[in-house]
Amino acid sequence: MTYRSQRVAYAYFAAALVLFALQVAFGFLSLAKYLGPDPLLGVMHFATTKAIHTNLLLVWILTGFMGAAYYLVPEESRTEIWSERLAWLQLGLWLAVGVSAVVCYLLEITAGRKFLEQPFPLKIGIVVVMLMFLGNLAMTIRQAGRFTTTEGVLMGGLVATALLFLPGLIPFDNYTLDRFYRWWVVHLWVEGVWELVMGALLAFLLIRLSGADREVMEKWLYVIVGLTFLSGILGTGHHYYWIGTPRYWLFVGGIFSALEPLAFLGMAAYAYNIVRRSGLAHPNSLALHWTIGSAVFSAIGAGILGLAHTFPQVNQWTHGTHVTTMHGHMAFFGAYAMINLAIISYALPGLTGRSDEERQTTLGLWAFWLMVGGMFGMTMALAAAGMGQTYLERILGFGYLEAQRKIQVHYLMWLATSVVFACGVAAYVWDFVRAGAPRAQPGAAAAA
Amino acid sequence: MTKADTRRFFFAGTLLFTAVFIGLTVHTHMSVAERTNADALTAEVARGFRGWERYNCENCHTLLGEGAYFAPDLTQIVSQRGKGYLTAFLADPSRFYSEERDGRLMPTLGLSEAEISDVIDFLDWVGRIDTNGWPPRPILVSGVVTRGLPGVEVVVAGTPAERGRAVFEGKGACAGCHSRTQGEVLVGPPLAGIAGAAAERTGSADYHGSARSAADYLRESVLAPSAYLVPGSQYGAGGVSFMPEHYSKMLETGEVDDLVSYLSTLQ
Repeated sequence: MTYRSQRVAYAYFAAALVLFALQVAFGFLSLAKYLGPDPLLGVMHFATTKAIHTNLLLVWILTGFMGAAYYLVPEESRTEIWSERLAWLQLGLWLAVGVSAVVCYLLEITAGRKFLEQPFPLKIGIVVVMLMFLGNLAMTIRQAGRFTTTEGVLMGGLVATALLFLPGLIPFDNYTLDRFYRWWVVHLWVEGVWELVMGALLAFLLIRLSGADREVMEKWLYVIVGLTFLSGILGTGHHYYWIGTPRYWLFVGGIFSALEPLAFLGMAAYAYNIVRRSGLAHPNSLALHWTIGSAVFSAIGAGILGLAHTFPQVNQWTHGTHVTTMHGHMAFFGAYAMINLAIISYALPGLTGRSDEERQTTLGLWAFWLMVGGMFGMTMALAAAGMGQTYLERILGFGYLEAQRKIQVHYLMWLATSVVFACGVAAYVWDFVRAGAPRAQPGAAAAA
Repeated sequence: MTKADTRRFFFAGTLLFTAVFIGLTVHTHMSVAERTNADALTAEVARGFRGWERYNCENCHTLLGEGAYFAPDLTQIVSQRGKGYLTAFLADPSRFYSEERDGRLMPTLGLSEAEISDVIDFLDWVGRIDTNGWPPRPILVSGVVTRGLPGVEVVVAGTPAERGRAVFEGKGACAGCHSRTQGEVLVGPPLAGIAGAAAERTGSADYHGSARSAADYLRESVLAPSAYLVPGSQYGAGGVSFMPEHYSKMLETGEVDDLVSYLSTLQ
């Protein structure tokens, strides 16, 4: 690492990986209930394990983003973090909020809104953490007086993430309005401002991994995030087809969400061009794998598979089936999990005081291919389950329970491919542990 | 194209589409009251919604298709199952379903009577929201109600019993609750052998309805389900059947006649 205070990023990354592993564990608990019978029925409901699974996803992705920001902003602004102590304090509070949320869910204390289940006091805790985080970054940039486009886009994404959390704090008695504003948080995060964070991290990684010209890269970054908002803001309409909102959303949502893949395809093209120009010569081949992988997987998972059920004519049949689960798993993994794993892989040698050349990559490559292969298999299993469910339940008229029985075999495939995925996660975590603790003098250590 | 151009594209596009989105939001916010029958949103409905959240219902079920996919969609559940059945079901789901038989079982949540009544009122209110026609076909919990393929017209001709069978499996959605296999309980009593049972019941001493023949009994049990209760606490409570009473409005007279003809063949 170039700046001593960047070591705090290591702690964020370590925490993110622990939460990721826990997320996978709760995924298995939830999946086991699909296979039934459920020995934990009266102890830990599906609703509990599933809420923990999705909450851990959000928390670990955000923890990774925070670590990435504490790594990237000093590099871009060429300065130490304004207050390293505040960054540590923020991590402590963030994890306390996260652990409290999980404990609340286990005790069946919940706000009961998907992804926003955190009890109100914990939501306030999240707001406080975001203020500490953004304040610290803003002061860092201010003291440096140097502000690049890449970090500008990153900061824009993070500030908007914090602001868009606020509509989720408003209670409504009207279920339709509750749904309407809930999507302001959830949709505008994952199909809006988080794409800015992803785009910025992708640009940073591609510039570093290929030595591409910054001006050119940042020019195209504006095009990508421009396309994100051009399509993604009104693309929120694809959640407003059937929840009691006016009919024009079918038209607005259909048109604009059909454009949403453009931003992801743009990112894939961005990465492809870099590879064509500069090849895959950078010694940190793991970071390259995850970076290019993220660009490709998000284009398929978030872009193409989202498009597959976004038109109202299709969505009226698939809405609320495993078709959504299919898209959700690959989209979140491709866009946000993989970009986090990319930045961790990129930063790790520097943070732990090793050069890229002396790093053993075999285990890391196993982690990559097992996770990618496992997630691809899970997506296929869920696609089969979702299409089966849509056809049997929505079109032919089998009851929910009957249809579930008939698609049981796909849940077995889901389980098998999940095991492959989990092996990849274990390999990644072990590779991270093996890299050792942060060291202050990376250059010197590598030379010795 | 320079970086300044693409920056302008980003800011101008973002501002424009944010403005449009906010405009549509204002309009939507104002039209929701009418589309959701907000004047029917009583204190009970609001409390029911809080209960829906408190018990984390949407992390198993979907409602208007939103939520989790581990349990059935509940958008039309009150009109499909009726309040009486849902009241008994929510008090103890294991009386009605078993993991071995159905693959899924809702946990007993320990809801109070008031909580149950509120959440049913909430679901009833949600079921009346104008959803732009979703779902295009009813989504059922159990059984099979064949409806043919969309766009493929099903011509129902033939004998009254054949037409009645189509009503049973289609428009009437009877097959969503009643099995025709001996001993298999979906929701209501299984109807294998109902023709013979109908004749016996009209002659028995516990029967207080007005039907004098098996066919009249069958017609009465469709149109006035509480006239005679099949023994068993899973079929009714307090002398009232769990079967919804809306079939006199939902089916034409001719369709009821056909249905009775069909039921009469279930010996």
